Amino acid sequence: MTAPLASAARPGVDTHCPYCALQCAMTLTPTYAEIGMQSGGAGAGTDTAARPGLTVAGRAFPTNRGGLCKKGWTSAELLTSPERILTPMLRQPDGGFAPASWAEALDLVAERLAGSRARHGADSVGVFGGGGLTNEKAYQLGKFTRVALGSSRIDYNGRFCMSSAAAAGNRAFGVDRGLPFPVEDLDAADTILILGSNVAQTMPPFIGHLEGARSAGGLIVVDPRRSATARLTEDGGGMHVQPTPGSDLVLLLGLTNIVITERLIDTDYLERRTVGFEALRRSVSRWWPERVQQLTGVPVPQLRELARRLAAGSGTYILTGRGVEQHVDGTDTATAAINLALVLGLVGTRHSGYGTLTGQGNGQGGREHGQKCDQLPGYRKITDPAARAHVAGVWGVTPESLPGAGVPAIELLDSLGVSGGVRCLLVHGSNVVVSAPDSNRVRAGLEALDFLVVCDFFFSETARFADVVLPVTQWAEEDGTMTSLEGRVIRRRTAIGAPDGVRSELWIFQELARRLGSAGTFSADPAEVFDELCLASAGGLADYSGLSYGLLDTGEAAYWPYPVGSTGTPRLFLDRFAHADGRARIVAVHARVTDAPAQRDGTVTLITGRLLEHYQSGAQTRRVPELHQAQPQARLQVHPATAARLGLVDGGEVEVGNMQGTVTCVAEVTGGIRPDTVFLPFHFPGAQRANLLTLGATDPVSGMPEFKRTTVRVRALVRTPGSGPAGPVSVPSIRTDAHA
Amino acid sequence: MPEPIPAAPVGSVPAAVPAAVPAAVPAAVPASPAPSRIVLVGYGPVGARLVEELLPVVRAGLATLTVVGAESADAYNRVLIADYAVGRSDRDTLEVTDTDAARAAGVDIRTGEIVTRINRVRRTVTLGDGTDLGYDRLVLATGARANVPTLDGVTRLRRTLMRPPTDAGALDTADAPLPRGVTALRDLDDAATVLETVRSGGRIVVLGAGVLGMEFALAAAQAGSDVCVVYHADIPLNRNLDRGGGTVLARSARRAGVTMVSHARAESILFTVDADGHDRFDALICADGKQIPGDLLVLSCGIGARTELAGLAGLSVSTGILVDESLRSWTDPAVFAIGDCAHVAPRPAPGASTATPAGGPTGLIGPGWRQADWLAARFAAEIEHDARAGAVTSPATAAADVAAPADFGPALAVQAHGVVMLKAEGIDVVAAGDTSADPWDIDPAHPDDGHGAAEPVHGRDCAAAPGATAPRLGVSQWSDPEHGRYVKMVTRGGILTGFICVGMPRTGAELALLFERGSELPADRSLLLRYDGPDVDPAGGGDAFAPDATVCWCNGVTVGAITASAAAGNTDVACIGSATRAGTGCGGCRGRIGEVLERFALTNSTEIVG
Repeated sequence: MTAPLASAARPGVDTHCPYCALQCAMTLTPTYAEIGMQSGGAGAGTDTAARPGLTVAGRAFPTNRGGLCKKGWTSAELLTSPERILTPMLRQPDGGFAPASWAEALDLVAERLAGSRARHGADSVGVFGGGGLTNEKAYQLGKFTRVALGSSRIDYNGRFCMSSAAAAGNRAFGVDRGLPFPVEDLDAADTILILGSNVAQTMPPFIGHLEGARSAGGLIVVDPRRSATARLTEDGGGMHVQPTPGSDLVLLLGLTNIVITERLIDTDYLERRTVGFEALRRSVSRWWPERVQQLTGVPVPQLRELARRLAAGSGTYILTGRGVEQHVDGTDTATAAINLALVLGLVGTRHSGYGTLTGQGNGQGGREHGQKCDQLPGYRKITDPAARAHVAGVWGVTPESLPGAGVPAIELLDSLGVSGGVRCLLVHGSNVVVSAPDSNRVRAGLEALDFLVVCDFFFSETARFADVVLPVTQWAEEDGTMTSLEGRVIRRRTAIGAPDGVRSELWIFQELARRLGSAGTFSADPAEVFDELCLASAGGLADYSGLSYGLLDTGEAAYWPYPVGSTGTPRLFLDRFAHADGRARIVAVHARVTDAPAQRDGTVTLITGRLLEHYQSGAQTRRVPELHQAQPQARLQVHPATAARLGLVDGGEVEVGNMQGTVTCVAEVTGGIRPDTVFLPFHFPGAQRANLLTLGATDPVSGMPEFKRTTVRVRALVRTPGSGPAGPVSVPSIRTDAHA
Repeated sequence: MPEPIPAAPVGSVPAAVPAAVPAAVPAAVPASPAPSRIVLVGYGPVGARLVEELLPVVRAGLATLTVVGAESADAYNRVLIADYAVGRSDRDTLEVTDTDAARAAGVDIRTGEIVTRINRVRRTVTLGDGTDLGYDRLVLATGARANVPTLDGVTRLRRTLMRPPTDAGALDTADAPLPRGVTALRDLDDAATVLETVRSGGRIVVLGAGVLGMEFALAAAQAGSDVCVVYHADIPLNRNLDRGGGTVLARSARRAGVTMVSHARAESILFTVDADGHDRFDALICADGKQIPGDLLVLSCGIGARTELAGLAGLSVSTGILVDESLRSWTDPAVFAIGDCAHVAPRPAPGASTATPAGGPTGLIGPGWRQADWLAARFAAEIEHDARAGAVTSPATAAADVAAPADFGPALAVQAHGVVMLKAEGIDVVAAGDTSADPWDIDPAHPDDGHGAAEPVHGRDCAAAPGATAPRLGVSQWSDPEHGRYVKMVTRGGILTGFICVGMPRTGAELALLFERGSELPADRSLLLRYDGPDVDPAGGGDAFAPDATVCWCNGVTVGAITASAAAGNTDVACIGSATRAGTGCGGCRGRIGEVLERFALTNSTEIVG
C-alpha cells in the first residue's frame, strides 16, 4: 500500500506530518533542486533560496499506509516561506515591529514578567498553550509556568478541542485516551458510527480504515451537513443521519432508549463491567423514538434501523468528533455516546469500542502533561497531594511551591487585562484571535494586557497584538515526540537545520528560567526533557516511564500507559476500566429541551468546522500558496431553498450577524446542508472570522465553549460600486494589520 | 371482590403515617425559619418530574415534599403503555424515576394512597385514612382517566362533587367496575389484562380510533393478535387528520392486518357467562345491528381530567383544573396544577365574561414535563429567595403582589398545539395545528387572491405584505394513496401553522421541527417531499463524472483536474498520482481514477474516429 510517491531510493528522515492527530508518517529529503511537485506556489521559496527545501514523501505506517493529504504533501513549503519571522521582533512606540537580538528580547520578557509578578502577584502572568506542541514542549510549558513563573494561570487551545470528550472519558472509564485501541482495529469492523466528525476532509487518509464498514454497508455518519464523510455512505456504504444542529444528545438518548426497549443490550456485560445502568434506563425512558424525532428531525424508522444495526454488528465502533462535543452540553453528549457503547457491550473488547477522534497534531499528548489548568504530567491532578509530591520531587522543588489549579481557557481569556486577572500573557502554538469564541472579546482582552509575548513562525493574527514575537522552529527543524489520536507515542525528527535567528521553545524556556532565577532546571535538549517527562509521568494515568527515544527509534508501536517494564497498552480496558473497582461508570445524563428560534427572515443556525485545505486558524495553511489558492476565503454554505428565500446567490457577498459580531464573506449554495443550518469554516481572519459570531458560553464540566449552535441572521450584502470589495483576502504580509 | 383488595393499601398505610406526620405537623410553630411545605397529589410521570426537579431544595432543607399517589406502583411512563400491553417492551423500561433516590433525599412518597379532600382554609389535605397533611403549596397532578362510553351493559358512574372516591384501588371505577373482558388502557392493571389476551391469542376489539387506540391496535397486530378497530367517524384520528390523511392511514392499518370498521356507532355489549357466574364480554353490537365478536374489548375513547378533588374544594374547573400561565389555580394562590389535569388559561379580568375558557389539557406528556420543570424552578426560586430574605413569603402573600413573579425567572412558554405522532412501526403519521383548510379555499383575509395565487412571484413569503390585514393562507397538498403517502401543509404568511404527514417519515420529522419553531417553509414546498425520495442525496447526486465532481477527497482533486492531467499525457493511475496527488491519500479512489481515465480514453478515441 505504499504510495507511488514514497521513494526509498534516497536517504531521508522519517518523521510525521505537522498537522492533524492522525500524524501521517512521512519521509523528508533535503534538496536544493526545484521540485516539480512543489512548484504550485509561484515564487514560493525564492526569497530564501539559500536554504535547501525538503521533499515530502508518504511513508508506510499503520495510520496512513503511505498516503498523505494535500496539507501533508505541501507541508514543507512553510519552511521556506518568505513570511517566516527570522529574528525576534519588538513592538515599537509607533506601533510597528523592529528586529531585536535574542538577548535583548529575552531580557525584556524576563524583566516584564518578573516585574508583573512582583507588583501584581504570580497569577498576573498567564500562559496559553497549544495542542500542536510536542510532548516535550507541552510538558516544559507546564513546568515553566508552575516553577519558573510560579503561576497557576495556564490553559490551552485543547480546551476548544478535546475537553468535553476528555471529561466524559475520565468520568466513564477513569482515563482519557482518544482511541483506546489501535486505529487499524477499525478495519475489521462492519459497523462504524461517526458522530460530528468530517474525517474525509479533516484527516483524509483515515477513511481507508472505514472501508471494511463501508463494504459491509455499515458506515453511519451523523452530521447536519452532507459532508464528504457523509457522502462515503452513498452507494450502499451505509447511512447518513442529518439531525438539526445541537440535537445530538437527544439523538443518543433516543438510540439508547431503543436499544434498551428492544432488548438489544448486553446484560451480561453490564453486570460484569459497569455500574449505573438502572439510572440510565430510567433516564432514557423519557426519550422514546417519536419524541426524539420531534426534536432531532431524524425519522423514527431511521432511528430504529440505526440502533438495530449497532446491535447487530459483529464489530461495532462509535466515534465522536467536535461536531457533537463542542457544545455547552458537550461532556454530556460524549457521555451519552459512551453510555450507548456500554449498553451494547462494545467498550474494552477486541472487536468493538468507543473513541473520540482527536483533532490537533498532539491533541492527545498535549492534554496529558500539564498544559491543562488543573493538571500535572502523566494526566495527574494538581489538586492531588500525592501527585504534587511526586512531580515536585522530579522537578526538585517543594510541593508547597507549586501553585494550585488555575482556570480553564475561556475564563483565562476573559480575565485578560481585568483587575485581578492576567496582565502578561505568553502564547505558544495558538492563534486565539481566530480560534477562540467571541473573538471580539478576545481581541479586546489582548489589547488590555500589559504585555503579550507570542511564539510563532509567522505574524499570526494573535502575534500582531504582541509586544514581543519570538520566532520558533517548525516541525522539520526539531526533535520531539507526539502522541497520536490512538495514544501511540511517535518520534518527530529533525530533517533540516533551523534558520539562523530561529530558536526552539525548549531553549527559550531555559533562557527565560535562567533570567528569572528559577529553582528548577530546564533542559533545551528534547531527549533529556523527554526522559524527565517519563519520570514525572511514572505512576500517573498516562504513564510514559518505560519509554525513551532509543526505544521509540526502534519503531516499536508504543501505546501508553507504558510503565517501566511493560510493553505498552495497545488496547485499554480489555480486562478492567481505570476506576478503582475496574468497572465503567454509566452516568445518566439529561437533555434540556431548549426552544430553537423561529427560522424566519434569515434566522438560521450556524455551525463551524474545517476544510480539507486548511488547518485550525489557518495561520500555516493560508500561507501555502496551493492551499490558499484552492480555498482563499471563507464561504458560507447555505441550502438553495434558504438562499432563494434570502436572495443569496452562489459566490455573492453575504453578511452573517448576531449580538456577538458580524462576518462578511461569500455564499456557497449547496444542497449538502440542512435548510435550517449554515456552515462557516473557521480558518479565516479579519471580517471572515467565524468566531466573531460564537458565544463564550461553556460546558459546566469541561469548559468547552459552544461552537456548533449559534443563532445568526444571514442577509445578502449589496455593495454600492466604489464602496470597496471585500473579496478574496490576500496572504497578509508582516507589516499589514488585518484588523486596521 | 372489590372489598378486600382496596382494603390492603388503605389498611397498611396508617402504620406508616404516624412516622411521617411529625414532619408535616409543625404548622403549630410559627413558621419563619421552617421549611416550606409542598404537597403533591399524583405520582405519574409529570408528578415524578416535579419531584426530581425539587430535590435540590428538599436536600438543602428549604422545603419538605410529600407525595400522595393513588397507584401502588412508582411513577411510570404511561405513554409507552401500549408497547408494554402487547409484550413489546419490559415493565422496567416504563420506569421514569428513581423513587428510592427521592426518598433518600427526604421526600415522603406515599403510593397506594389517596387524597379525599382539600381544606383550603386550613391548608390541609385529608388522606384516605383520615390523616391530615398541612401544606404551603399544593400541587395537583392527578392526571386523567379513560373515558367510558355509554354502552348498554357497562355501568356508568355518576361523578359527583359531593362524593369523591375514597380509596386508591377504585379511584376511577368506584363501586361500578368494568365487566370482565372490557378494559380501558390507561394503567398497569389494564395493561396486564390486555397482555393476557395478546399472549393467549384472543381476538381484540378496540373501540375508538384515536391516537392511543390506533397505536395499540397496530402494536397488537404486529404482535400477532387479531385486532379490529371500531370507530364512529369515517376516518381514524379524525381529530388530527383530514380525509386524505385519515384514508391513507386506514388503508395502511388494514395492510398491517388491522380490521377497520368505520361509521360504527357502538351501542351495547353481548356477554357470555363464566363458570363462576360472572358476565364476560362476547361481542360489541353497533347501531346498525353489526355484531363484532371478540375476547377483549379495549375502550379507547379519550381521556378526561381528574378534577373531582379540585371541584369539591371549590377550585375553578373547566375541562381541567383552571390555572393561569404560572400554573396557579384561578381560585386559590396556594394551589397549582400540572399535566393532564391542568387547564392552562389566562385568568379573566375581574368582571369579564366567564364563558368557557379556550384550550384545555393536551393529553401530551411533553407539555406536562415542561410545566413540571418550570413550576419546580419557580418554587425553588421563590423558596431560595425567602430563605435569603429570612422571611416567609407564602404563596398567598406572594400572589397578592402580582408583580412578584417577574423576579423569579422567565414565564412559562405557552404551548400552542402539540405535535401528534402515531407510535407505530412502519406507519408514520405526524400532524399538528389547524389543517382544516383546503388548497382551493378562498382566504377570507385575501379574497382577491383567487386560487393558489398566495405566493409572490419571487418566491419570498411576505408575512406582512403591504396593505394586508392578516397573513396569507397557503395550503399545499400531496396525495399518493397507492403508496400510502399523504402530505398537507398549511401556512400563514409562509409560516407553517398546521400539517399532516402520512407515510413519509423524514418529511414528517422536518415538518414537525419547522412547525414547533414557527419557521418559514421553503417557497418550493416540494423540497420537503423529496426528503423521502429514493434520490435523497441532496448534494446534487448528479453526474459522478462531471468535471467538478471530486474524485480524491484527500487531495481535493476533481474529474476535471484528472482529465486535464490525462490530456497532458498522464494516462495511468500512478502518473495521475504523481501529477495531481489524486489517489495518494487513503488510496480509496484509485479505482475511480481508473474509471475516469477509461472514460477519457474512450471519449478521445471516439472523437478521433468520429
